[in-house]
Amino acid sequence: MAMIEMLLRLHQNSFYFFAIILFVIGFHTMLTHNNLIKKIIGMNIMDTSIFLFFVAIGYVRGGRAPILEPGVSHTYINPLPSALILTGIVVAVSVTAYALSLIIKLYQHYGTIDAEEIMRIRGGESL
Amino acid sequence: MSSTHLPVLVVVVPLFFAYLMPLFARWRKKWCLPVTLGAITFSLFSSLYMAQQVMASGPFHYRMGDWPPPWGIEFYIDHLAVFMGITLTGVGLLIIIYGSKDLLHEIKESLMGWYYTLYLLLMASMLGMAFTNDFFNLFVFIEICAIASCAIISIKDKRECIEAAFKYLVLSAVGSGCILLAIAMVYMITGHLNFNFVAEGLQTAMSVYPKNILVALALLMVGLGVKAALFPLHVWLPDAHSSAPSPSSAVLSGLVIKIYAVAMIKLLYRVFPADFVGMIPVMNMLLWMATFAIIVGSMFAIVQEDIKKMLAYSSIAQIGYVFLGVGLMSQNGLIGGILHIINHAMMKSMLFLAAGAFIYATGVRKLSDLKGIGHTMPVAATAFTIGSMAMVGIPATNGFISKWYLALGTLDANKPLFAAVILVSSLLNGVYYLPIIVNAFFAKPEGRVAEPERLPVQMTVPLVVLGFGCLFFGVFPSRLVELVTRAAQVLRGF
Repeated sequence: MAMIEMLLRLHQNSFYFFAIILFVIGFHTMLTHNNLIKKIIGMNIMDTSIFLFFVAIGYVRGGRAPILEPGVSHTYINPLPSALILTGIVVAVSVTAYALSLIIKLYQHYGTIDAEEIMRIRGGESL
Repeated sequence: MSSTHLPVLVVVVPLFFAYLMPLFARWRKKWCLPVTLGAITFSLFSSLYMAQQVMASGPFHYRMGDWPPPWGIEFYIDHLAVFMGITLTGVGLLIIIYGSKDLLHEIKESLMGWYYTLYLLLMASMLGMAFTNDFFNLFVFIEICAIASCAIISIKDKRECIEAAFKYLVLSAVGSGCILLAIAMVYMITGHLNFNFVAEGLQTAMSVYPKNILVALALLMVGLGVKAALFPLHVWLPDAHSSAPSPSSAVLSGLVIKIYAVAMIKLLYRVFPADFVGMIPVMNMLLWMATFAIIVGSMFAIVQEDIKKMLAYSSIAQIGYVFLGVGLMSQNGLIGGILHIINHAMMKSMLFLAAGAFIYATGVRKLSDLKGIGHTMPVAATAFTIGSMAMVGIPATNGFISKWYLALGTLDANKPLFAAVILVSSLLNGVYYLPIIVNAFFAKPEGRVAEPERLPVQMTVPLVVLGFGCLFFGVFPSRLVELVTRAAQVLRGF
């Protein structure tokens, strides 16, 4: 019984649940991969999971976008999180663009996009 | 233009000119520097004016577009905010005056216009963080600040700068992610983003959803901790601060890491309910992290050979003092912590600028090669000496005042162990700063140190002003202490 109850709860909160799973995937990708591009992909997955989480807060089951029409009443979702996340997406895009341009520069200077390789080249320099 | 819109103008004016700067760089190259200086000076004087207002009649709110709080974004101008405003713009102004000459040595001349853009963006975002009273607004400013501070490192097109900037960017993106998730957690249970409304909401939510608040608090600590380079999360700092152009190092070490500490102070003292903070040993954790930062940072600094790397590790130790003050939860401790923000901003930027002057004039970065620099570059070496003295906390320098309050705070909080930490770390500071001074003044100059380039006046003046400031606030700290005391009282709710 307890099992079923837990699964039901997970189902009710599935948005949050998957957002957290995505967050962990993104975080893991970002920390464990040596390829810098993959790091940035991980960062984006992580950001997206947070956006999903944030937007899910404002979602009301069966609700629709709050465009008010006279004489019609509906349940509406909370538009504020969506509006905020629009800003969040813009921020994430600019961070990604900047990070990718840094990777291009790194490739020009080191000839590789592997973090460990770059560390090795740098280590050799200081000796 | 009435003075009622000053709080927002302080942020908007640098932001506006930041976007105009590329145009100036194209058409009127000569205007770039005066316009930058003008914008920052405007913010400085407005902050001073608001400080007077706040001291006279207490903190006040500013509503964007006159929308009342739960809907509109709000600025809250209290003593801490104006204090940070003065610190940021005052020190920032001196750094960019210095930078106008020094940067010509370090970056391509065609990029100077962009540097001013980034610098103004950085200033505006930091001022915004100091004044804002809204979670999401805080997040946006944090992101602007993160990108701008990475960009003023990577603008120097050398491979170690690019690499350091990338590392910084990735880690601070993790930090921003954590902060946004924390904001989501808080918004979820309170339905508000305004600090005051969230604080009210958390009072009732505390008993219903304690786990949410706990997770939010943890995420905020990690997010802001990464950005403020609190001890175990400091790995990006040494590379980033040492490879950057000297003015960037000065602004990053002196101001940028502090503003995140201020954000944390605001959240811990104003937003999260005191009962909750009392229930979870957040403050104790902060205390221990700060202690490790102070000791380990100094230890690492001792073994460094590169002058800027040493200063960078020293910053890790010094940010520890600020968090020590925050974690003590006593009036004097908080005063000491906040006071250390401005004191460290002045002395660390002066040290970085002096180090930059050494590098500018001689090209020498290795500590052991700086023998006799005191004979050939007296102004920069004297500034470095004053800064070192202040770091150690010798009386008559400003570093002494903040350490004094911190030590009093540890005793008030009945934690004398941390007073010992302050003492030990002062000795450690002595271990790595004093030999440089001795070397600089009591050895014979050799090689490139013997014949330095002349320092332009734009570079000596900020050094002299900062050095004078360090001594002035060490001898006559009363006005500053008054402001900070009020700030601490307001934060602690008296």
